[in-house]
Amino acid sequence: MIHFDNVTKVYANQNRPALDHVSVDVDKGEFVFLVGPSGSGKSTFLRLVLKEERPNSGAIHVAGKDLARLSNFKIPHLRRRIGCVFQDFRLLPNKNVYENVAFALEVIGKPRRFIRKVVPEVVELVGLEGKAHRMPDELSGGEQQRVAMARAFVNRPMILLADEPTGNIDPATSIGIMKVLDRINRTGTTVVMATHDAAIVDSMRKRVVELEDGKIVRDQSRGVYGQAY
Amino acid sequence: MRANFIFSEVWIGLRRNLTMTIAVIVTVAIGMALLGVGLMINSQINSMKDFWADKVEVSVFLCKKNDPFPQCKGSGGVNAQEQAELKSTIEGMSQVESVAVENAAEAYKNFRDQNANNTVLLSAIQVEDMPESLRVKLKDPEAYGPVIEAVKGAPGVSNVVNQKELLEKFFGLLEKLRWAALVVAIILVFAATLLIGNTVRLSAYNRRRETGIMRLVGASNLYIQLPFVMEGVIAGLIGGVLAAMLLIVSKVFLFDGVQLYLSPNSQLSWETVASVISVTMVFGVLICVLASFVTLRRYLRV
Repeated sequence: MIHFDNVTKVYANQNRPALDHVSVDVDKGEFVFLVGPSGSGKSTFLRLVLKEERPNSGAIHVAGKDLARLSNFKIPHLRRRIGCVFQDFRLLPNKNVYENVAFALEVIGKPRRFIRKVVPEVVELVGLEGKAHRMPDELSGGEQQRVAMARAFVNRPMILLADEPTGNIDPATSIGIMKVLDRINRTGTTVVMATHDAAIVDSMRKRVVELEDGKIVRDQSRGVYGQAY
Repeated sequence: MRANFIFSEVWIGLRRNLTMTIAVIVTVAIGMALLGVGLMINSQINSMKDFWADKVEVSVFLCKKNDPFPQCKGSGGVNAQEQAELKSTIEGMSQVESVAVENAAEAYKNFRDQNANNTVLLSAIQVEDMPESLRVKLKDPEAYGPVIEAVKGAPGVSNVVNQKELLEKFFGLLEKLRWAALVVAIILVFAATLLIGNTVRLSAYNRRRETGIMRLVGASNLYIQLPFVMEGVIAGLIGGVLAAMLLIVSKVFLFDGVQLYLSPNSQLSWETVASVISVTMVFGVLICVLASFVTLRRYLRV
């Protein structure tokens, strides 16, 4: 599903590569934690998958497509098959829960009838039934992140990328978030989650890829966050 | 593509930047109106030149009784012999195509026709006040020099009027006006371009959250950019409509007003006005679209 072959990314004005000859394979339906300290290249990895950045060398395949050969014109179609969740939720403050989720479908031109059918389903899937008409500022952090997950998942992406989704959320609420991600993963969606949260990684017992200074230092199925932490 | 989504976004964008939008509309309106006036003056000059091309004559006015012109003092008016001599001299010149005699009665009739509305003037002027004249038609309107040389100061001639020279002064003025209008129009178009750029930039900044999410969920570039471009197009269109109104007003009150005194048969036609309006409209909208796109490329990374 995601295939990195010897990928190196060096940002302009920086000597040290953000990713240094990284090769990794993520299969369809997998749940992968991407761990490592700040600046180890986790976010760069996710941005490369979205083709928000281009690698300096190496090949990236996402959902069977060679990103180097994907024209700019086709990038939106790639992104429609990838959902994204961030630490800071990125909701639209002037739209309610339903509208925030529906927005993702409206802007890719889905018909209204389809939107009316699938949005309530997804809102229920993330555990926000009965709160569809709340505004984001009336919701807790955990609930806002659920809205963001609903928006990321509403178009049934093949891949869900989560960049520290529990970064702004207390541990007890984080468990609920992880349950939603697990539920999404069980529908067959590949999930890649970058995180610092050792407790969550340890409790889930999923595949762990650890990055340090842009290199993969560990790739372990059913792993834990790491002895050092 | 969901039109109502785009239009609600456009409406929100325009309302948020109301002052900038008004500035754009006003600049586009005035810029396009001046461009249109320039084009209208241009077509006016051409149609007037056409109209006059086969009509310009050198008028050789002859002395009449008690003529105030110094050359005529005490002569008691031109006599038949002098008139015949003048006529044959002029007809003998190689540059001349034809010579016609306009007697006082004809002159009075023409005068009445031209000033049909001016009753005060008509009641004051009598047939006896009109001078006789020789109307000299030239083969080439530019070659008036020798003819004027030959008749100026000849006995019985009170005054020589070269219509060509009069017209040229007038056309020169019109041409200056046209260039002034076009230069100011270009400056305003430049200002409008910058204003639109700024408006779009503000708009893109105001809506960076939305566009960020649109990018993320895979909205196409067209879908992301269209609301911004439409904002420019709508501002441009409103400006164009205002410019059209200004052009119609200027045709009715300015061009037609000036027409009355000059060449009644070369009025600026409504077809010309319509084509000028469509040209300025298309040009205005095009500028808005281009300015929006260029700015978006810089401020809305896709």
